[in-house]
Amino acid sequence: MSFELFSNLIGAFFTLCIFSFLYKDNPLYQMAEQLLVGLSVGYSLVLTYHRVFIPYVYQPIVIRHQFMLIIPFLIGVLYLTRLTRKLSWLSRYPIAFSVMGVGSSFALSLHTAILVQMRQAMVPLESINLTLIFIGTITVLLYFFFSKAHSGTYGKFVNVGKWYMMIGFGASFGLTVMARVSLLIGRIQFLVLDVLGLMK
Amino acid sequence: MKFFKRMQELDRRWIYIIIALAIVVPLMIPFDSDNLTTPSTENLYQMIDSFSGREDRAILMSFAHDASTMPELFPMEVAILRHCFERNIKVFTFSNSPLGAPIIDYAINTVKDEYPQIESGVHYCNFGYKPNMFAIVIGMGDNIATTMNVDAEGRKVETLPIMRGITNYTEMNLVVEFSGSVAGGTWIVYARPKFGLNVAVGVTAVMAADQYPYLQSGQLIGMLSGLKGAAEYEKLVDVFATNEQSFSSEKLSDPRIRDLIKITTQSVASFTQTEFTAFLNRYPQQKDLIEKYREEKDGIIQINWSQIPPQHTEQLGFFVMDELQRKANHIKYSFKTARVGMNAQSVAHIVMIVFIILGNLGYFVQKLSDKK
Repeated sequence: MSFELFSNLIGAFFTLCIFSFLYKDNPLYQMAEQLLVGLSVGYSLVLTYHRVFIPYVYQPIVIRHQFMLIIPFLIGVLYLTRLTRKLSWLSRYPIAFSVMGVGSSFALSLHTAILVQMRQAMVPLESINLTLIFIGTITVLLYFFFSKAHSGTYGKFVNVGKWYMMIGFGASFGLTVMARVSLLIGRIQFLVLDVLGLMK
Repeated sequence: MKFFKRMQELDRRWIYIIIALAIVVPLMIPFDSDNLTTPSTENLYQMIDSFSGREDRAILMSFAHDASTMPELFPMEVAILRHCFERNIKVFTFSNSPLGAPIIDYAINTVKDEYPQIESGVHYCNFGYKPNMFAIVIGMGDNIATTMNVDAEGRKVETLPIMRGITNYTEMNLVVEFSGSVAGGTWIVYARPKFGLNVAVGVTAVMAADQYPYLQSGQLIGMLSGLKGAAEYEKLVDVFATNEQSFSSEKLSDPRIRDLIKITTQSVASFTQTEFTAFLNRYPQQKDLIEKYREEKDGIIQINWSQIPPQHTEQLGFFVMDELQRKANHIKYSFKTARVGMNAQSVAHIVMIVFIILGNLGYFVQKLSDKK
């Protein structure tokens, strides 16, 4: 038996174990679930060791003697102090460094997520689509303005914003269903093509 | 009345079985369906295609996902790599996640199997996993070779032939990021305003709605959303790239184009007399064997490649078989995965819509009868 066939058979077995939950909860499903969690952690650990620790910590420091890298390495190690209650406060230092990165991106994020979006919303209403976007932006923004009661004509106007949001949620839900079906298709393609070889 | 009551009480496991069948049957029995392309996919295709054959242009593919989102993102990656290899476009790959790095190897190997002339370091370069995304994104704006330093195979990037004519984002002017969560964020925030880099994304369908504001505001030049986006790109590659044609909307609406995108097995390669002579001249050693399978109908020479037994397939070799399959407009499974998947997706959606309508009808009918 080739390695490929062996690994495909194992994959197929555990895929079916997970699918068995659709009938009802059972020990095979639970076994597959626990194994998935354990294997994912183990896989990430080994991969991180080989692709991160060895090339970016061990080799530069031990082989190429770039001792300056010991400082960021030690700061990174402080994350592990979360595991002890007494020293967990030390983990705030690497977190502070990460937040510094977030702070540095603030100005550019403002440009990307707010200024450019505002500019695109302030265009001449030359088409039906642009008019719809304009109405949607105004009504949705007003819907979240809670200093005035949503009643009377104003209430009816902001209610349009609610409908806009409902349509948005519907689109998101539809896309979510599509994504989940795609995952199922991917698994079934694996079972039918790779394991059974029934598709050409 | 009774029907709707029974529908309301239907065990969910029957629904699972019906949905499973709605997916399995179209996958096992593929049918030729059309897949209309959207402007966001066409824009990305056109931008990548405009780099064709240019030494001073390249694209970067950023694999920011792990195996859990592969069913949707992997066909996109394969389709774009195939486009690049087909049209002689320089392509760089990298991942900011250790879990994304093996997927790069898998994608490149999947496509490279069909393009034996493509060489690492010459036509493409895999930087592999690189930590510190911010430094990478900003550093490449200055110099790609010094920022990346070595590729995934440990070679100095600056010494690779692919780097001729490529210094920074002025040349590597497009990045396509594939992600199952927020895609393209770092590139849009750091590289686009500062260096004018063009950014496009390939995202799972779940995340597509979040990306539309960036697409609408022009910060993304294109977007592939979910399996549908992948299927659209696969189609464009088959229609234009593999036939060495440039993109045109008119050609897409041409009914003859349907022959180029059939996802069922296409086994008959047809040649005119001149084409066949030229074909034989290209492969003089296999001439006799090719002639053995030749058939003539109405002045057209035909070869059914699916009837050639495996021992002769080996003798004919990769290039002859590849040309026969291309001439027959046959598409290999790994290059039509998303389109076969979309067939199943369409059937599953129809079944779900029927269930939603029946469920709602049943609910209102029961409510009405309870009132009575």
